[in-house]
Amino acid sequence: MFNQFGSTAETLSKASAVVNRIGTDAHLYDDPEDVNIAPLLDSKFESEKCEALKRLLALIAQGFDVSNFFPQVVKNVASHSSEVKKLVYLYLLHYAERRPNEALLSINYFQKDLGDPNPLVRAWALRTMAGIRLHVIAPLALAAVGKCARDPAVYVRKCAANALPKLHDLRLEEHAPAIDELVGILLADHSPGVVGAAAAAFTSICPNNFKLIGKSYKKLCQILPDVEEWGQILLIGTLLRYVVARHGLVRESLMLSSHGLDNNGFYEKDGLVIDLTLDKRDGDKSDSFDANLVSLVSKCYIEGPDEYLSRSNCPDTVSSAFDSKETTSISHNEDVKILLQCTSPLLWSNNSAVVLAAAGAQWIMAPLEDVKKIVKPLLFLLRSSTASKYVVLCNILVFAKAAPSLFAPHFEDFFICSSDAYQVKAHKLEMLSLIANTSSISSILREFEDYIKDPDRRFAADTVAAIGLCAKRLSTIPTTCLDGLLALVRQESFAGDLESVDGDAGVLVQAVMSIQTIIELDPLCHEKVIIQLFRSLDSIKVAAARATIIWMVGVYCSLGHIIPKMLTTVTKYLAWSFKSEASETKLQILNTSAKVLISAEVDDFQMLKRIVVYVLELGESDLSYDVRDRTRFLKKLLSCKLAETAEDSVASQENIAEHVVEHVFGRKLKPFSPLTPQNRFYLPGSLSQIVLHAAPGYEPLPKPCSFVFEEHDQLSDSDRQREATAGLHGSQESSETVDEDGSSEYDSESSNGSDFSSDVDDRTISNDANDPLIQISEVAVSTDQEELRSKRALDMWLDEQPSTSNQSSSALDRNQSSYAKISIGDIGSRVKPKSYTLLDPGSGSGLKVDYTFLSEFSTVSPLHVCVEVLFENGSTEPILEVNLEDEEAAKVSDSAEQTLVGKANVFHNNVPTLIPMEEIGCLEPRQSAKRLIQVRFHHHLLPMRLTLQYNGKKVPVKLRPDLGYLVKPFSMSVEEFLATESRLPGMFEYSRRCSFADHIEDSRMENGKDKFLSICESITLKVLSNSNLYLVSVDLPVANTLEVVTGLRLRFSSKILSSEIPLLITITVEGKCTEVLNLTVKINCEETVFGLNLLNRIANFMVEPSS
Amino acid sequence: MPPLMAIEFLWRVADVLSDYLGGLNEDLVKDNFIIVYELLDEMIDNGFPLTTEPSILREMIAPPNLVSKMLSVVTGNASNVSDTLPSGTGSCVPWRPTDPKYSSNEVYVDLVEEMDAIVNRDAELVKCEIYGEVQMSSQLTGFPDLTLSFANPSVLEDMRFHPCVRFRPWESHQVLSFVPPDGQFKLMSYRVKKLKNTPLYVKPQITSDSGICRVSVLVGIRSDPGKTIESITLSFQLPHCVSSADLSSNHGTITILSNMTCTWTIGRIPKDKTPCLSGTLALETGLERLHVFPTFKLGFKIMGIALSGLRIEKLDLKTLPPRLYKGFRAQTRAGEFDVRL
Repeated sequence: MFNQFGSTAETLSKASAVVNRIGTDAHLYDDPEDVNIAPLLDSKFESEKCEALKRLLALIAQGFDVSNFFPQVVKNVASHSSEVKKLVYLYLLHYAERRPNEALLSINYFQKDLGDPNPLVRAWALRTMAGIRLHVIAPLALAAVGKCARDPAVYVRKCAANALPKLHDLRLEEHAPAIDELVGILLADHSPGVVGAAAAAFTSICPNNFKLIGKSYKKLCQILPDVEEWGQILLIGTLLRYVVARHGLVRESLMLSSHGLDNNGFYEKDGLVIDLTLDKRDGDKSDSFDANLVSLVSKCYIEGPDEYLSRSNCPDTVSSAFDSKETTSISHNEDVKILLQCTSPLLWSNNSAVVLAAAGAQWIMAPLEDVKKIVKPLLFLLRSSTASKYVVLCNILVFAKAAPSLFAPHFEDFFICSSDAYQVKAHKLEMLSLIANTSSISSILREFEDYIKDPDRRFAADTVAAIGLCAKRLSTIPTTCLDGLLALVRQESFAGDLESVDGDAGVLVQAVMSIQTIIELDPLCHEKVIIQLFRSLDSIKVAAARATIIWMVGVYCSLGHIIPKMLTTVTKYLAWSFKSEASETKLQILNTSAKVLISAEVDDFQMLKRIVVYVLELGESDLSYDVRDRTRFLKKLLSCKLAETAEDSVASQENIAEHVVEHVFGRKLKPFSPLTPQNRFYLPGSLSQIVLHAAPGYEPLPKPCSFVFEEHDQLSDSDRQREATAGLHGSQESSETVDEDGSSEYDSESSNGSDFSSDVDDRTISNDANDPLIQISEVAVSTDQEELRSKRALDMWLDEQPSTSNQSSSALDRNQSSYAKISIGDIGSRVKPKSYTLLDPGSGSGLKVDYTFLSEFSTVSPLHVCVEVLFENGSTEPILEVNLEDEEAAKVSDSAEQTLVGKANVFHNNVPTLIPMEEIGCLEPRQSAKRLIQVRFHHHLLPMRLTLQYNGKKVPVKLRPDLGYLVKPFSMSVEEFLATESRLPGMFEYSRRCSFADHIEDSRMENGKDKFLSICESITLKVLSNSNLYLVSVDLPVANTLEVVTGLRLRFSSKILSSEIPLLITITVEGKCTEVLNLTVKINCEETVFGLNLLNRIANFMVEPSS
Repeated sequence: MPPLMAIEFLWRVADVLSDYLGGLNEDLVKDNFIIVYELLDEMIDNGFPLTTEPSILREMIAPPNLVSKMLSVVTGNASNVSDTLPSGTGSCVPWRPTDPKYSSNEVYVDLVEEMDAIVNRDAELVKCEIYGEVQMSSQLTGFPDLTLSFANPSVLEDMRFHPCVRFRPWESHQVLSFVPPDGQFKLMSYRVKKLKNTPLYVKPQITSDSGICRVSVLVGIRSDPGKTIESITLSFQLPHCVSSADLSSNHGTITILSNMTCTWTIGRIPKDKTPCLSGTLALETGLERLHVFPTFKLGFKIMGIALSGLRIEKLDLKTLPPRLYKGFRAQTRAGEFDVRL
């Protein structure tokens, strides 16, 4: 019956599908090229143009390259039909980057459209113009955005706000102040729609420019409920960051609750609050929130876990780092109050992301008694798609870790549905085991009992682990849990008997491990359980479970009264079963028998000794070499024990071997420390919290009170401009406000430094005698080269035709299999490292200080980098007593505002951050002097603050790390390189494109030289001048014609200085000898953040013109 | 960008697309690729959402409908991209197009509820709660200002609102005050926790011995909601260790799919007998008895009642348009209704 119905339904749906297709663009998609597109584009009918464009889009959608229609399409920008316009824009944005010259043709039309009376036309023109990411038109686009930011139509202003990040991405340093200013204008807009987009622009362009927020903070808070949902998400984050930077954390909030407990003035009050939040009957305080964890969480939010955990080995700084000056109280702070007021209704938003963002703000800022209002909205979010459920659970877990009592009454919400995905189930289990308390544990355990019978055995195993965790946390239930687990072990071991399903084995292993965790709490009480486990050894067949039990035999062998008496029997049994065990279990048997022997009482000693000797004999002839090795090792260790008789054992206590044995096997178990480094906390809602490492672009909260707001901030535009440029020159008086906006400032600095590099360059030796050679030393695939070459020529020809790009690209792939290896002669002598300015003569009254990173290794520690500092006296008078010192060290002596955090940095690991230089007594006019300092940077992007002393003055200066020198060369062969590369695929591999033009001048100068060689040389030189790498190989496709260098590949290898993790760089070249080349830089490295930053650095310096 | 924002945005795109195309699958996207391109271009700009409000999108890019399709077949030309900027982009109520005109003014309120419940192995109701939505369909002329109030708002555990709902009136006296979008929309969603009763009971029993499992499942009415319970289904996943199943029922039909999902379609409960599913499962050889148990998922639908007990008191308009028609409806269906064995 059903079948029949099914078939009719199918035909019906087929028929309706056919009907549905009528009148759609389906026919264009199915066969986009059944007519000639080119004449349609030139047609005078709008409808034909429209059709042609749709066909082109269909081709794009199917992955064909139709960029060769570009000139014809661009002409149609002038069309009056809105649909044609829209389609042209779609096409244009897709290809503009690849055809920059033709794209320029369209600019005039955009300019015209920007003056159109129709706001839609203006908005589209602006969006497209900003979307064409070309440096050439950036100034025009910026002017257009400036104009549109004051447009009467809200939609146009919104598009202007969206266009700002596009311009910012082009990294135009000279326009940065103008972009910041536009962000400020748009943030002050009165329309909520614009403010939302402006908040997004603010977050991606200048997240730390709090001056822009400060001006209109109150207004932004009030407008928040009316802003679009997407804008709300980012605006909440921005406002939160502003409040923290301006006022610091709130004293009454959860974040500082542990701090309050330390200063016992708050103790009473907290006790009160706990009662308020909990209405608990049994008032054990440890349950309401974990003070250590809370303070860890708040630290992580402020500093980022990487920074914080790296120095957490100085625990005394933890509690006292928050100065009372850096906190605020909600009762007399309007800004905090208004933020909390405006975000709390957003907990009712329809958009989960808004709810989570609002909850995050409340979590950090709200007073302790108000935090509980985020609970219900968060739990409501759990009824959504699997993906969002997972994200929400990840965040709730953090909240619950810090304050389990918040979620404890709502444990039912974490009961598992059969439709939950495995990851969601696992998180819910973790949640349940975190929040279980004495009142809810019985219901939770009953649920767990159900879960154990779930068909998903992996989940059942997790449940068993969760039972163990619960029992560990709550003192009342272990006995019940143990009974249940023992029953489970018995039952599973029977089931395992019949059929060994992988999942079931997992449950059994987990059950034994959970029992172990419970026993560990109080072994003496559970002696009976241990004995029961020993007895069950016979029925348990799973190797891992057996191994755990056998391990327990060893650990608890001297416990209580009964176990020591059983030992002989148990050991005999183990020896008997040794032959049939898995090697994992065998190793455990060996260990255990050694432990047993050591703690044996005199009566049993002889017997045990014989057994152990037997086991060792068996082990020596085992098939597995692991077992054999272990046996030999133990035999040597135990030789003293084995040789002596029971009476001697007391006598020869002095024996060294004895001590070693005691030390290895006789040690007591150590309890796990609760603060494991797994506790990495990132801001709620962020991507980093999900992936548990700092994702690119993640920023922790700003330093509390790092922003000083001037109420009457009347800086005119020109003033601000001046201030910005002054900032670029490194003389930053206002280092308090601009603290950590790393990369953008960094770039400006490096481009600035390049102006000076020619002055200092005395290491450049032009070495023409060392002419490099091309050797075709390796031809990988020995196909006929002639054939390949002709094919290549054919491809070139085919390339001109449309729609054959697929073929040609595959042909290209084939071609690339044969390479010539190029060896470049001694290039080291021509490498000229770049120098940066530490102090320019303008602000140093004639003293100019430059610094250059050296490729030498530091003599002090592998973490240090050698920096050569060049002092030059440009004034007419001598300069006396020049020295460089660590700022922190200098401050200790003369400043009281030294924080403990700083101290912790200085003495971290007892390695100073700066190995100081020899002081320069006197520097005559026109004289220069060089000194070497060694520096250890705290972070690969953050500058190091130093104090420069001269003539008795002290000037603060910033030494910026050059990423290129935070690595060291790591020599390897091409084979090793490829092997390492293949081990680092996927998320460890990232690439970026950039252009390269240095070689053009080069090749013009030296006409006689081989063009390929000069290109290779100039690229290598550029790379090695800016970073400390090892050149592995340079490969060129054999089949290339004279002019084309496409496929040229340079490989560099290095190791990250701080972590010794290998980092591989591959540069692939595309283009012709005489033109600007396109480079693809690819990095393979496990340390993703560092790798990405270095990638950006390389892409930046490749583009910079050399001096 | 926060990950939840990306997920939420993708859902919004999916909603808009399926609204435009009448569904969402590969073929539909291919057939309407131009509209999809245009919509995506409008919805996201440089990785940040631009216009996601359906009413504005609808004005900017016309959804394909029968008339436009026919027109394009006949004339070969019909632009679906608007020439003018929708006025909603600048207004403070972006969700509402300016000045829609209707000859008859209608507004319907639907309470659509889903019951989530867990019944554990001891046949105990561990958790029972309602997830509900207030769905509205409004066709009102001009710029109406509505207030909706509940008779018993205290039953609501938690709620989330459409952006059009003003927070203040709700905070002060639990009244929904809003300017509605045009057409169908979800006004709010809510949760009601700790319900005591389910309309149906499910009594599964499995005994296994020497490689054979006997199954019997009874489904019946526990507490009569006063309306007919329709389209009752019961589905469960057969454990992997089951090699063959022989199941029959005294009412309804049973289908077993190749992925071992067994669905028992009951429909309505007959007056004269209690529906019962019974039969045997043969376990794989070597397995004596079953040690993992399936979870039964119950499905049902009841028209005309909201099981949470939430009642709408009244719906008021500030300025009454001529010929206004107001309607209220309710319905409850099963959400995540798990019965464990």
